[in-house]
Amino acid sequence: MPQRSVVEAPNPFREGIRTKESLEPCIMVIFGATGDLTHRKLLPALYNLALEHPLPAGFSVVAFARRPYDDETFRKQALESINEYSRQKPVNPQVWESFAAGIHYLQSDFHDPAGYEKLSSLLSKLDQERGTSGNRLFYLSTPPSQYPDIIQQLGAAGLNRNRKGWTRIIIEKPFGHDLPSARELNRQVGKVFKEEQIYRIDHYLGKETVQNILVFRLANGIFEPVWNRRYVDSVQITVAENLGIEGRASYYEESGAIRDMVQNHMLQLLTLVAMEPPIAFDADAVRDEKVKVLHALQHLSGRDVLTNTVRGQYGPGWVGGHEVPGYLQEPGVSPNSTTETYVAMKTFIDNWRWADVPFYLRTGKHLPKRVSEVAIQFKQAPLMLFKKSDAQGQVEPNVLTLRIQPDEGISLKFGAKVPGSDMQIRSVNMDFFYGSSFVREQPEAYERLLLDTMHGDSTLFTRRDEVEAAWAFIQGILDEWKNESRDTIATYESGTWGPQVADEFIWRDGRRWRRP
Amino acid sequence: MFIKKRKVVEMATDTSPDQGKRLPWAGKQVRPEHIEDELTFLWHLAADNMRISQNMNVRTSVLNLVICALDIASAYKASALLRDLPNTHIARVTLIILDTSEKSPSGVTTWVTLRSFPIISDIMRHHFEQVTVLLSGAAIQSATTIIQPLLKPDLPIYLWWVNDLPSNNSIFQRLINVSNRVIIDSSEFSLPEERIRTLSSLLQASPNCALSDFNWSRITPWREMVAQFFDVTEYRPYMVNIEKIEIEYSVPSTAHQSIGGKGASNPIRALLLAAWLKTRLGWQLSEENPQHRHESGVGTYFWHMTTRVPTSALVESLPSGNSLGEAGSETRGVIDIIIRPRVQAELPPGNICLIRLTSTLNGKQAVFTIDRGDDDEHVITSVEVPDNPSLQRVVNVAATHKETELLNDELEIMGRDHLYEETLHEVFDLLA
Repeated sequence: MPQRSVVEAPNPFREGIRTKESLEPCIMVIFGATGDLTHRKLLPALYNLALEHPLPAGFSVVAFARRPYDDETFRKQALESINEYSRQKPVNPQVWESFAAGIHYLQSDFHDPAGYEKLSSLLSKLDQERGTSGNRLFYLSTPPSQYPDIIQQLGAAGLNRNRKGWTRIIIEKPFGHDLPSARELNRQVGKVFKEEQIYRIDHYLGKETVQNILVFRLANGIFEPVWNRRYVDSVQITVAENLGIEGRASYYEESGAIRDMVQNHMLQLLTLVAMEPPIAFDADAVRDEKVKVLHALQHLSGRDVLTNTVRGQYGPGWVGGHEVPGYLQEPGVSPNSTTETYVAMKTFIDNWRWADVPFYLRTGKHLPKRVSEVAIQFKQAPLMLFKKSDAQGQVEPNVLTLRIQPDEGISLKFGAKVPGSDMQIRSVNMDFFYGSSFVREQPEAYERLLLDTMHGDSTLFTRRDEVEAAWAFIQGILDEWKNESRDTIATYESGTWGPQVADEFIWRDGRRWRRP
Repeated sequence: MFIKKRKVVEMATDTSPDQGKRLPWAGKQVRPEHIEDELTFLWHLAADNMRISQNMNVRTSVLNLVICALDIASAYKASALLRDLPNTHIARVTLIILDTSEKSPSGVTTWVTLRSFPIISDIMRHHFEQVTVLLSGAAIQSATTIIQPLLKPDLPIYLWWVNDLPSNNSIFQRLINVSNRVIIDSSEFSLPEERIRTLSSLLQASPNCALSDFNWSRITPWREMVAQFFDVTEYRPYMVNIEKIEIEYSVPSTAHQSIGGKGASNPIRALLLAAWLKTRLGWQLSEENPQHRHESGVGTYFWHMTTRVPTSALVESLPSGNSLGEAGSETRGVIDIIIRPRVQAELPPGNICLIRLTSTLNGKQAVFTIDRGDDDEHVITSVEVPDNPSLQRVVNVAATHKETELLNDELEIMGRDHLYEETLHEVFDLLA
């Protein structure tokens, strides 16, 4: 058998290094580099990676944007952003200086072919100067309307493939506006990049606690046997925000809660909770199982949409001690807007594991607090020995709660006897807090996801069929809502847990919303 | 890795009548048979405190930590260091002090305390138990049997040996045999070469125990940076053709270059690095040119090497025209590894100051260097390859200076570090 060449063989110095992984030097090209996402998230994440040194020497950033800056102006702004938003403060001057030497700015319109020619030359030059070996990572951090142009121009300039090294592209959400637009975007990207080059990012999947759902389920033998219709009564997924639209009316009017939250973050959480154990912990095996869940979701259409969903808009009220306006009074929002700021829905997964187990999803803006959690409520014991006549207090069902944010952790609620001669039963929570159990600082979601992209690991990114399957589920709801009158949108007072009809909606099933 | 600094609070103050040695920091002195009862009482007190002050106790238990110190000062230092270790979730610390002074009568003295770290704020506290055992005289030889009943069941045992290895290593050997993992710090070795030999043979005698060394963790960033050089595929051919490795380690002054004895230089990090590089590159000591030099007295080492795997075997499947094909045909001379001291008074002795790898490919020389910066917290990596501008990077290595972080890292590892063990044996071979 022929031996591998030294270039192809694994780096022998990597073997047995405990804490770090191999990372090839690369150039990250950020389109829309003067925008909010770049300065609040991407640059601080990259600096943190440089500080904790998984980023190899030679790693470079090319900031591609329209504003007339030069390298020095952009570096200065980058430093200000890192100083403000990095979790590692103050900035280490020596590390910054070394990191900044690899930052370059390229001014161009996104549709101008000349800009891509300049980019191509700059990348070749940096390959030579910084040993980046032709490895490129393109990050689309622009408004989604610019994606097709940039992708097409990258293809036309031949930057989608490289004779040596790898080329990958990260696409920020929202990935499409509905099923047809998502399919169209997939088609356009697919014409230029192969699927294995495409990383559709949903930063929720970079959160430690979201990843821990898989570890919790699949690394512990005791939960899997009860993780099914036989023992689980229902599942509630809540993603609540206390903020309003924060001046983003033009985006939110087009999006609404179902596109902004349900289609991506909440369906991701649902798939991680409901999927079958994959045959391996690799990108395709995990995503295969997630896609199966999305395909098994009972699609809603016609009258079913009205009976299984609730949509609402926040009215005026008080949140966090401040008086806030209603959605229709927000600047930039149409007074007749039908955009929902709150969604509650019930869905079922039609497979053997979950048949007849309702999954309740709830998200909204201007709710009392910012919280994300998945709560699995178990069925009561089959024979209740401690009836009310014998026992004081109430025996509540067991609930396992996976808290995503804040207070990341896991809680298990169970009944315990209160010490004393009476048979008094009280529900107690056994809490595991990440913050107090692992006192170390958690990396930001973007740090993890950027590293994964550089490693070529797409496990935590959304695959083409996954995006389309999620949109296919949402599309039926969007179609029906479009045909309904404005009266079907309930108003809720800001600072409350949503409209009254949402409570009635779940009461009908003999259940109630959790108060997270 | 970042650990938030916490203050630590001890419960159980020693108010007992004087019964010999007093260790106020170790808690309340109790008779060995009352240790568990006293700890149960302290837990009740903690629960009551929680009720009164509405504090929350956090008790997550993952391991037993046995600390073995050869004197009270070292024990105190180790005990104090635990206050910066709140995220390890030690169930119980058993701190053994071996009082080896000849005049001490045979005896066992024990103290207990419950220690707590505030987590997030003073409201939430993480507790662990600490039992301090002072052994003297003949009791020292029974250290293993004395501590066995003090260990929490069903949890792994980590032994941290804080001082130099003793000349008579039978106690150390017995403690190794009851531990799942042993942590040492070879920078404490007064006779580095001799201790390496001891360690290598102890390890072979205890195949079930995992061994860790703070010094190995201290050089991890250096190994990572060497690896990063050759993650770049263009540089990979230079890796095959490395012909010289130079490693420098700090000594406080020329007067302190001698190896061995208190305050002397300790080249173990440099030796570990050299041995690691040798194994990774598949080299062996040259038999044709065996002019190896160990000038232990001044801390200089010099070895001639040859490749174990012929270079041509690595390149036979390369496509034609690849420069490595030419690399394969290059005549390999003798390869050198050189370790030498560098006087750098501001650095603790034994710190790595420089790694330089020199390689020649197609008659052109490339140099890969990791050098100490102007301070102890940064290093500068540089690559000089033919026809390319020099590439430099500053890397922060400050985390490797903190003993707490090193200990914390070791306590997080369960399995064996086979590479460390292999490297240790390799150092032994190099010194043979």
